[in-house]
Amino acid sequence: MLALEYKCCKFDLHSPEVNFWEDLESKIVECVRNTLDKRVQFYEDEIRKLSEQRFMPVWNFCNFFILKESLAFMFEIVHLHEDALREYFELEICYTETVKIPGKQRDFGGLEHGDDQATLLNSGKKPLTQIVQDDSFREFEFRQYLFACQSRLLFKLNRPLEVAARGFTFIINFSKALSEHENILPFCMREVWVISACTDLINATASRYSEGLVAPDIEKEFYRLQGDLYSQCRTKFMRLAYLIGYGTNMERSPVNSASLSMLPWPKPAVWPSVPPDASSKVLAKEKMILQETPAVKHFGIQRKPLPLEPSFLLREANRRRASLSAGTMLEISGSDAMSKMFPSHKAQTSSMTRTNSSPGLDSSIDRPMRLAEIYVAAEYALQSTISDPELWKSFSSVKEFEQKYLELTKGAADNYHRSWWKRHGVVLDGEIAAVCYKHGNYDLAAKSYEKVCALYAGEGWQDLLAEVLPNLADCQKILNDEAGYLSSCVRLLSLDKGLFLTKERQAFQSKVIRLAHSEMKQPVPLDVSSLITFSGNPGPPIELCDRDPGILSVTVWSGFPDDITLDSLSLTLMATFQADDGIKALRSSTAIVLKPGRNTITLDLPPQKPGSYVLGVLTGQIGHLSFRSHSFSKGGPADTDDFMSLEKPTRPILKVFKPRPLVDLAAAVSSALLINEPQWVGIIVRPINYSLKGAVLHIDTGPGLQIKGSRVIEMESYADSSDDSTGVKTNGALENGPSTANKDFEQLTLHKGRIEFPDWASNMTSILWIPVRGIGEKLARGSSSAAPQRTSIVDGMRTIALKLEFGISHNQTFERHCDSLSPSQVFTLAVHFTDPFHVSTRVADKCNDGTLLLQVILHSEVKAKLTIHDAWLDLQDGFVHTDRGDGRPTSGFFPLVISPASRAGILFSIRLGKSDAEDVARTLQSESILNIRYGISGNRSVGAHPPVGIEHSATEDAKQDLVFRSALILQRPVLYPCLAVGFLPLPSGGLRVGQLVTMKWRVERLKDFETEVSKNHDEVLYEVNANTENWMIAGRKRGHASLSAMQGSRIEISILCVPLVAGYVRPPQLGLPDVDEANISCNPPGPHLICVLPPALSSSFCIPA
Amino acid sequence: MATTACFIIVSRNCIPIYEAEVGSAPKREDAAQLHQFVLHAALDIVQDLAWTTSAMFLKAIDRFNDLVVSVYVTAGPSHMFNNDISQCLPQTG
Repeated sequence: MLALEYKCCKFDLHSPEVNFWEDLESKIVECVRNTLDKRVQFYEDEIRKLSEQRFMPVWNFCNFFILKESLAFMFEIVHLHEDALREYFELEICYTETVKIPGKQRDFGGLEHGDDQATLLNSGKKPLTQIVQDDSFREFEFRQYLFACQSRLLFKLNRPLEVAARGFTFIINFSKALSEHENILPFCMREVWVISACTDLINATASRYSEGLVAPDIEKEFYRLQGDLYSQCRTKFMRLAYLIGYGTNMERSPVNSASLSMLPWPKPAVWPSVPPDASSKVLAKEKMILQETPAVKHFGIQRKPLPLEPSFLLREANRRRASLSAGTMLEISGSDAMSKMFPSHKAQTSSMTRTNSSPGLDSSIDRPMRLAEIYVAAEYALQSTISDPELWKSFSSVKEFEQKYLELTKGAADNYHRSWWKRHGVVLDGEIAAVCYKHGNYDLAAKSYEKVCALYAGEGWQDLLAEVLPNLADCQKILNDEAGYLSSCVRLLSLDKGLFLTKERQAFQSKVIRLAHSEMKQPVPLDVSSLITFSGNPGPPIELCDRDPGILSVTVWSGFPDDITLDSLSLTLMATFQADDGIKALRSSTAIVLKPGRNTITLDLPPQKPGSYVLGVLTGQIGHLSFRSHSFSKGGPADTDDFMSLEKPTRPILKVFKPRPLVDLAAAVSSALLINEPQWVGIIVRPINYSLKGAVLHIDTGPGLQIKGSRVIEMESYADSSDDSTGVKTNGALENGPSTANKDFEQLTLHKGRIEFPDWASNMTSILWIPVRGIGEKLARGSSSAAPQRTSIVDGMRTIALKLEFGISHNQTFERHCDSLSPSQVFTLAVHFTDPFHVSTRVADKCNDGTLLLQVILHSEVKAKLTIHDAWLDLQDGFVHTDRGDGRPTSGFFPLVISPASRAGILFSIRLGKSDAEDVARTLQSESILNIRYGISGNRSVGAHPPVGIEHSATEDAKQDLVFRSALILQRPVLYPCLAVGFLPLPSGGLRVGQLVTMKWRVERLKDFETEVSKNHDEVLYEVNANTENWMIAGRKRGHASLSAMQGSRIEISILCVPLVAGYVRPPQLGLPDVDEANISCNPPGPHLICVLPPALSSSFCIPA
Repeated sequence: MATTACFIIVSRNCIPIYEAEVGSAPKREDAAQLHQFVLHAALDIVQDLAWTTSAMFLKAIDRFNDLVVSVYVTAGPSHMFNNDISQCLPQTG
């Protein structure tokens, strides 16, 4: 009663309370909730009770189901979908366990008409009351019912992805269950059910799925599931289509083969038989089989087609039929047992072919069915299985089949693409392409095939690529896409050799060549990187000197199965250090035939800039086809791991060195040679790691030098015992005896200024001896020992211009590296020539009787031993020999030997005086001439040596002596001075700064000017020199003073000076420029320094600035 | 129970660099291609899965009828596929 009060509320019709209706509503809600709670509580208690009794014999699933279902229903109507879902999941688990209990096997179900259409999303398709009333709970219906209820709730919860995921799993599991009961189910019930289930699930989930509302990952997952469902559906559809004879319309592609060849045939209890009235259909199918032509692959590829069937259908079907007569035992034991029991049967069935139609047996039940009959029988059986007219329509004709097939394939491909499973998607694109191709839609087919090929090629799955690429090539050929077709042919050729027969590969090549030599509309460049690869030869790179040409040898691998002729070929070299300037193309002049595999080709290499080079791109021409390859081969198959790597470290193939001296030319001697005599001049030719084979030396002599005799140029090997890089030998080393080992010697001729080197001198240091004569017109002049005056070294310098051409094709020219800026590129060799002696003279003694002893000192100028055999002096005017008139020296110790760099003296006795009568002829002679007859013995490798042509004389005595002439100037001695100059004393008061002082000199004539050539004998030129810092001079510093020519005449020269600084300063000096100093007597000489006092204190004194 | 397995090492960029078939089953002419196809398709799954797990050995990531694909993802950029083929497994799918 108390409770009733709570559940009631008073309603006053006349004056209702303001809150009455709200109160009523809340009460009602409360009541409903209470009621629900009570009912739920009640049901849950009941369910718990039943669950506890689960394993008791009295337990009944039907009661349990009614409770659970009622509870779930209650939850559902109050929108507690999650709870309802939970109840259904629990119910499913419980049911699955119940089904598994042995001894309580229920009927599976699925035998009613229309059961082939899945009801997994339609819970109301079968009346539930029937299931409950019968207590049948057949698995086939009930599991679908449960899933339908779950999916309904999931859809209400807006979880279509979960429906798809659970649905896919359900289909797979249910399909297994169907296969377990396949022998009681209609023919191919399982396949039909899966097709229907997948289609329903796809449609239901797709219609409830709104794109873009969920995370990308979940979206991908959803599309993946859709793709999987389509794919599953497609596989089963193809299986059924194959059974009724549409197998020939299916592409035997990897994906189809993989899907179908591992999927077992249906296993009905008995394979359906041919209905009695189907003979016309059998004939039609037979005709279809006979008309079937196996698809001929392009290029005549004869490859075993991929299987679409797990085993021969003919054999399988007949085996299943045979098992009917043999009893069920065989069915259970399987084919192995059967083949053991009936080995002959196996042989018979396995030997059957499609065209084996001979009816050998009369018994209809034992006679093996022909393939056409199997098709027809399957078609009839399927027709009775399939209740969905739409589905059956898809099997009614090839066209309908293809339409459905395309629909499913496209669905799967699209969804896989959306889920980013590109491999799955692209592969199915290939299947669409196959259908397009079949229908003549080559453009679409080519596009799709290209996608598939790009995927396989990009990832390097060659087996798969080999399957698709011929199809693409065929499309391209039909579309007249020459570039694409050629490229496909090349790609086919570059696949693994094992993938195609040699004959097929030859076919690819012949297509390429035929197309290359045909008139192409527009020449296409073709990348053959995968087919023709190249590399430099192993080992170190070719090393070339600057400006040298060479020959480059390159290894080229050809992937063509046959020889292929390349009309032209060029290869670029790329400098490793600079990108812009470094590309040089090497061209082969002739056509090259490449054998399959490894080829070595050689290319002429013109001179390259210094640097290191790697191989760049190989280009060439086959007919009208220009190809290029930029693939380096590392001596074998390409390293696949680095296949995509662009930054491939490449090995330098060529190194061109920076310009370096390749040869060194140097003079063999450093000391002087004899002038005016034929002398050998040596040129050391030292190749620096470079062959001088065929070298030519151009010789051009400078002024004052001539080559004596062009036929006697000698060349000999030069033993280089010194390690210095310049190659200039020390003379000492040569004198100590150069090694004579391997000494070669040859006489060469000079022809038009050219000398060709012998071969033996190619790689060794050699020395070239050239006879030259330095011409010196000037007579040697002696000098006085009082004032030694050496002749300049430049006088004896002569030059030889040398130009050495060498290298292969004489491309190299010798140039001094220090002279590399010189445009002439000619090396000038300096040769120093000199007289054998330098002569200096002195008067050794002036005797009282007027005799002068003249000592002539001979300095040896050459590094050779000089032997003086004779010497005589031709005196100038004014001198005569004292005793004998032959001009021979007083001491006659000839021959006199002078060692190198030493001196010797010869004494002549002469006197002043007029020459004798016989000397009249020489009166005009103003110089004395010293004549020396001498011999020389020296080594040409050291310096001066006997003149060329003389040294070969037999004996020492027979040597023709040489004569050296030197001019000497003798001066008559000056005996007394002409003028006397005296400095007159300064004032006694001393000098002060700023105080005028007069400097005075007296000049007095002591004797007459006998040889004076002055114009005015009565004048003398004077000059006063003073330091301007110390002295200010007033008056004429320079001038002529009158002085009588008479002996004893005198003048006084005075000049006014002002000392400017205090201290000891040098006084002004008087000089007489016209008179030789020897003629001036200053005895006593003027003061060296004089004392200047500081200025007297004076306020008006100013120091000059 | 005649089984055969195909073992493929796949480098980065999904390029197969080593392939071997082991097992006692008679070699089918199309098997190499079949295995390549199955393993190539499985790369789609590996690429998705490799980012979601830290495990290196991914067992049975894909199933193609009775072919089971397992993969060992190395720390470096390559995968090792093991495609077990058990011909006597109950049919699936």
